[in-house]
Amino acid sequence: MLTLYIDFKSAASYLALEPTLELARETGISIDWRPFSVRPFSVPVEQDEETVGERHRRVRAAAQRDVHLHYAAVQGRNMHFADTPAGSDAALAALAVMEGDPVPFIRAAFTAYWSKQADLADEAVVETLLRSVGIDGPDWQKAKAEMASIRSKAEESGIFETPSYLIADQLFLGREHLPWIRSLIAAEQGD
Amino acid sequence: MKALESDAPLIVYVDIKSPYAFAAIRPTLALEKSLGMRFDWRPLTLDIPSYLGSARKKEGKVVESTRSTSQWSWVKYAYRDARRYAERQRFMLKGTEKIWDSSIPNIGILWVMQTARDRLGDYFEAVYPPFWRRELDIEDMAVVEACLEKAGIDSSGFAEFARGEGRAEHDKLQPQLHPSGIYGVPTYVIDGTILFGREHLPYVRWHLQGREGPAPDIAYEIDDHEAQPC
Repeated sequence: MLTLYIDFKSAASYLALEPTLELARETGISIDWRPFSVRPFSVPVEQDEETVGERHRRVRAAAQRDVHLHYAAVQGRNMHFADTPAGSDAALAALAVMEGDPVPFIRAAFTAYWSKQADLADEAVVETLLRSVGIDGPDWQKAKAEMASIRSKAEESGIFETPSYLIADQLFLGREHLPWIRSLIAAEQGD
Repeated sequence: MKALESDAPLIVYVDIKSPYAFAAIRPTLALEKSLGMRFDWRPLTLDIPSYLGSARKKEGKVVESTRSTSQWSWVKYAYRDARRYAERQRFMLKGTEKIWDSSIPNIGILWVMQTARDRLGDYFEAVYPPFWRRELDIEDMAVVEACLEKAGIDSSGFAEFARGEGRAEHDKLQPQLHPSGIYGVPTYVIDGTILFGREHLPYVRWHLQGREGPAPDIAYEIDDHEAQPC
């Protein structure tokens, strides 16, 4: 079992989706998808008088955005960074209580967020997405409570960003670790 | 020296005090060797407190810190992550007790590039692994000179260079980096494209080999072969 924490508003989570699913297909490992809300991403506006730290954070954010766009193109994926990023908590809450295969919903939610700037904090928007993949809307109160419980346990495990992979008692942040994760899966499977 | 310009096919920015750069040295040198190319290695002396807060440890305990909880989470993860990949390369990586001024050994990179280019890997071997075993005071000029000698590089004149021409070159380069879009190490500059992190090495390799076939995604290349010297 590979545990994977994602957030729909995380560009890195979006770009990790298909490579991770490919890994699961190749190895046969099942994925335990878990929601974890991260801070919305934005590139700070350049100020007339910046501190070194402020300039560092601005340059870093702009570079991260550009790299995500670069690899979105490599993956043949449509990706657009909104000036004011929308939230994702309703979609994450729905994921927290989802039964059955969540992948169609995960795909639909990521696509809606990154190509149509859908507001995934809006329960009505998320219910429309859920219906599009044949799933009924959740009990929102229960879903939010479950999401909070998952977050609490995740933080105890050292999770602070997404995509975070947990396997063999190791935490990996980012899809760049997939080669090592693949080797751990092979070791678990006795290859 | 202009931040994004070089006659070499690739510019590589590194810092001796960066664990991520440490983990990138061996795979980047291996790429350079396998392609039969000469990369343009340059120093980026990180101003860590400006973006990650500052901290000082004594006997394993934090005695001074301006870091937030999220900054600590990131720093702790970053060290754990760099350590496991370093150990995979048979290196030891101990967390540092303070934030070092790495400018002298970083100016050493400029010295080696100008005086003994073929021994750059030996210099990295002489500095990086012992520093990350907490065996080197890299703020001590004599220590860096000893590393140069250990790498088979003549250190006579280095102290003068590190206080004069080399320092000036280093200090002139650093303020160019942020405005050029460079903020951390390892950073690879390839035909004007800036890529931070060794996860881009598959893409860098693909680009330098002529961009044949589909471009690769990011990945940390893992190497199960026996450790080779830098």
